[in-house]
Amino acid sequence: MSNNNLFLPVGFPRAPLANGVGRWICQLQRLTFKFCKNYPSSRGMREFLEFELLDFTKKNPGIVVYVKPRRHRAPNLTAEYLNGEKQIVDCRNFSYEEVKKWVSLLRSQSGRGTVRLLKMWHTDHPSIQGPWSPFVNRDPKLNWVEFPNEDLSQPIYIEKSATEKLIEIFEEQQRIERQPKQE
Amino acid sequence: MVFRTFPLFVRNRGPDELWRKRRILKLSAHFHGRSRNCYSIAVRAVHRALVYATKARALKKEDMRALWDARLTAACEEHKFSYSLMRESLSRCNILLNRKVLTDLAIWEPRSFKSLVKLAWSRASQDGLNGVKELGEEPSGVITRGMIK
Repeated sequence: MSNNNLFLPVGFPRAPLANGVGRWICQLQRLTFKFCKNYPSSRGMREFLEFELLDFTKKNPGIVVYVKPRRHRAPNLTAEYLNGEKQIVDCRNFSYEEVKKWVSLLRSQSGRGTVRLLKMWHTDHPSIQGPWSPFVNRDPKLNWVEFPNEDLSQPIYIEKSATEKLIEIFEEQQRIERQPKQE
Repeated sequence: MVFRTFPLFVRNRGPDELWRKRRILKLSAHFHGRSRNCYSIAVRAVHRALVYATKARALKKEDMRALWDARLTAACEEHKFSYSLMRESLSRCNILLNRKVLTDLAIWEPRSFKSLVKLAWSRASQDGLNGVKELGEEPSGVITRGMIK
């Protein structure tokens, strides 16, 4: 069984439609803040709505923001993206800073969703020198060779026979004996 | 017709059975035969599959390392050098490239890899490592000015 599509879908890091290469388009379409006006678990979200929300909306006119006060419900951030993906972040007992961070994360995400990355990088040009082929490190003279060719038909490595080795040893001995002896 | 008699209640183990079984059967969807549809058989198969997946994490690393070793041996042999000598020489030159990066270079940047082999060869001849002389004359073109130490 492979890990692949069962617990977490798998993919490579991508900028869908090369978003950001030219112009960057925010992929977040709608952000819904659901909270309770009274319960303490919504406190962080209430603080965010009081201090940061209007700045956020002014900076991001392309994101539609809905605020849903719902009594006796846990607070909730629902993000809907341009590709139809939906992500719900449960904000129960979050601090004001945490809500702020989550909002900025949802804003900067593409709508791709959580994916197990196979590689931590992506490049359209993996090679500058040109990828390896069997001819890269070969002599270009081979392009003009006409086959059949006697030289190229020889085996690449022929082991020395025992006779040749003995002859070598003998000649080395002779050479050493002929050297003038130092007293 | 559901008979609400005592014997039937005994067999009622709760409302969550469907979800418990669905969790397992979702993981066995691509198995062979009854292992994908029948819960009692699927449970055993799924547990074994999960165990294999856990054990394979270490094996994958070993496999990748062996693959890189094979590729680098082939790449060095292409330049008539030896893989073990290259590893030793590169570490002596303080070039701490791991197998993965070296393999990527050998595949995608063959010229860079060739220059690394040349450098390693020069260092090996300079240090007089075991087996350098048998490989023949070191390739020219490595200008060190005595700086590779």
